[in-house]
Amino acid sequence: MRQRFFNIVFVFAAVVLVVAAQAGFFDNYVLTVLMFMGVNIIFATSLNLVNGYMGEFSCGHGGFMCVGAYIGSLVSVAFFTGGKLFGDPLLGPKLAPFLFPVVLLIAMFVSALFGLIVALPSFNTRDDYLAIITIAANYIIISIIENIDAIGGPRGFSGMKSTINAMRDVVDLPWMLIYVLLSTFFCIIVLSRLVTSIYGKGIMAVCQNEVAAEIMGVNTNKVKIMAFMVSSGLAGLSGVLYAHLYGYVNAQSFSILKSTEGLVMVYLGGMGSLSGVVIAAVAFTLLGELLRFIIPAANNAFHAIGLLPADFELSQIWKWVIIPMILILLMQFRPEGILGNKELTDVFPRLKRWVYFK
Amino acid sequence: MWAAVAKGKPLALMEIQGLTHRFGGLQAVTDFSLSLGEREIIGLIGPNGAGKTTIFNLVSGFYPPMGGTITFQGNAIQGLKPHQVAGRGIARTFQNIRLWGDMTVLDNIRLAHTYGLGYGFFGAIWRSKRYFKEEKLIEENSRELLDIMGLSDVTDEFAKNLPYGSQRRVELARALTSKPKLLLLDEPAAGLNSSDVEDLIKLIQWIHSEFDICVWMIEHQMKVVMSLCQKISVLDFGRVIASGTPDQIQSDPDVIKAYLGDSSL
Repeated sequence: MRQRFFNIVFVFAAVVLVVAAQAGFFDNYVLTVLMFMGVNIIFATSLNLVNGYMGEFSCGHGGFMCVGAYIGSLVSVAFFTGGKLFGDPLLGPKLAPFLFPVVLLIAMFVSALFGLIVALPSFNTRDDYLAIITIAANYIIISIIENIDAIGGPRGFSGMKSTINAMRDVVDLPWMLIYVLLSTFFCIIVLSRLVTSIYGKGIMAVCQNEVAAEIMGVNTNKVKIMAFMVSSGLAGLSGVLYAHLYGYVNAQSFSILKSTEGLVMVYLGGMGSLSGVVIAAVAFTLLGELLRFIIPAANNAFHAIGLLPADFELSQIWKWVIIPMILILLMQFRPEGILGNKELTDVFPRLKRWVYFK
Repeated sequence: MWAAVAKGKPLALMEIQGLTHRFGGLQAVTDFSLSLGEREIIGLIGPNGAGKTTIFNLVSGFYPPMGGTITFQGNAIQGLKPHQVAGRGIARTFQNIRLWGDMTVLDNIRLAHTYGLGYGFFGAIWRSKRYFKEEKLIEENSRELLDIMGLSDVTDEFAKNLPYGSQRRVELARALTSKPKLLLLDEPAAGLNSSDVEDLIKLIQWIHSEFDICVWMIEHQMKVVMSLCQKISVLDFGRVIASGTPDQIQSDPDVIKAYLGDSSL
C-alpha cells in the first residue's frame, strides 16, 4: 500500500512536467535532456537486473536497445506514416498518438526474444565467459542490422520524426514526454515488483548461491531466461524511445560504447540497487550535458592562462576521457557505487513510511 | 510392494538400486544400493574421497547417474533436475554452508517456498489477489518455522552476519521449509565444537520426531553417527564395504581396515 504514495508522487510530478512543457515553460533543449534522462533510467535499471541482481556481467546491453530501436522505428513508420519501404501506412497517422504503446510493446517483445541469445548460453556458462558471449551478441546484432540494406544498412534509418509530427497534429500535447514518463514509470514498477516478490527473488538467489537455489527448488534456468528477457525487453523499450527522440537510428550508436555507458550508470549507482541506479542515470545524463558547457569553458580558461598550446583545442571527444576516468576513480574509492546494494529506504529509514523497494 | 507390507516391514521411502557413476576414469560410485524406510535415521560414512557426497549429488539431481535407479515414493527420480527433486520432497544441506548471504534469514526461508508457487511472472508484476494471499501465507509459515527452530531473534539479520552455528541452523530450517519427506544432511557437524555437537544431536532428534521425516546423513564424527543412526552404510572407493547397525559397524574388520589401514602391511 505504501507503494501507492510513490505512484501518486510520480503521477503528480509527471502531470506537472507535461503541463509545464505544454505551457512552453521549458525550452526544447531542457525537454530533450529530461526525456533522455528517462531513456537512460530505463536502460540502466534494466541492465541492473542482470548485472546487479543476478550478478552476471552483461556487456552487450546496447545490442538489445538496438533491436528495440530498429523494430520500434520500423513498426512505427509502417503503422503511422508509411514511406518508400512500406508504401501506405497500415493504420494511418490519425491513430499515432493512441497506438504508440502498441509500437512500444511490439519492440519490447521482439527485443525480449533477442535476449534469448544470451539467456540460453547462460545455462552452462557464467561470469567472464558469459560476458564474452554478451559482447558477441552485441556485435552480432549490430552487424546483422548494418547489413540489411532495406532498412538503411550503415546509413541508418529515419522517418520517425513524421510519426512524432503526426502525433502533435492529431492532439497538440507533448506526446513523447508523456510516453517517456509512462515508460519510465512502467519500467520502475515492473522491476521493483519483480525483485520484491518471492518469484523474482530467485534472481538474487542465483547470484548469491546458484547451487543452493537449485536445491531449494528454484528453477534456475527459468529464472535466467526470465531475467535476461525482462532486461533485454526493457532495453528495447528504451531503444524505441531513443530512436523517436532523435528521429533517426544508426546501428553504430548502440555499439559497445553504449553498453559501457549502461555499465557506468549501474556501477555508479550501485549494483542491485534500483533507486541508486535511477539516481546514477539522472546524474550521468546531467554530467554528459554539463560537459558540453564545461569542456569549452575549460578550453578557454586553459588557453587564457597558457596551460594549453595555442594550436591545441579541447574538443567534446574529451567527454570520453572524463567519463571513463570517473569510472576508474569510482572503482578506486567507492567500488560499491553511490548506494552499494542498499536502497534509498535503507539509507533514509524514514522514507519507509512512504516507499519501499525490497 | 504388497509383499513388503505383508511381511510387516516398513514401506521403503526411497529405494536405490545399483547406482553407478564415473568422473572420467575415476569410478566414483559403484553399484550402490540402499533402501530407506519412512522415519529412519540412516548414516553414510567412509574415508575422504569415498564417494559419499557424490551419492548425495546423484540423489538430489546434480548429475544424472550413469547407471542404476532411484525410486522415491514409488516414482523413479533419477535424471530429474535438482529443483524437481526438491519438489518431490527431498531436501538437503551442504557440507560447506550455502546460504544466500546477502538476504535476511526470513528471505532465505521465504525463498525456499519457490517450488509450487501459485503465481507466475505476470502475477508478480500485476500483484494479483493470489499474489498477496500466497505471499502472506508464506511469510506466516516462514515466521512460524523460524520460531520453532529458535531463530526468531535473528529473522531480519543478513545470513552472512550470523555465527557459524546459527548459519547451520538456518540452513536446516531452510531445508525443512518445503516439508520434505527425506532430509539429506552432508556433514552437519563439520566445524562445530563438542558442545555444539551435543546441541546438534538433540536438534536432529527433535527434527526427526517433530517433522516426521527420514534423515540420511553423511558424518565423520562417530559420536553423532553412533548416537543417532539406526542403520549405517560404510563406503570406500565408491563401494559399500559394510552395512548394519552401529554396533555391527564398529566391530566390522573391513571398516577398521578402511579407516585405520591394513595391519598386515
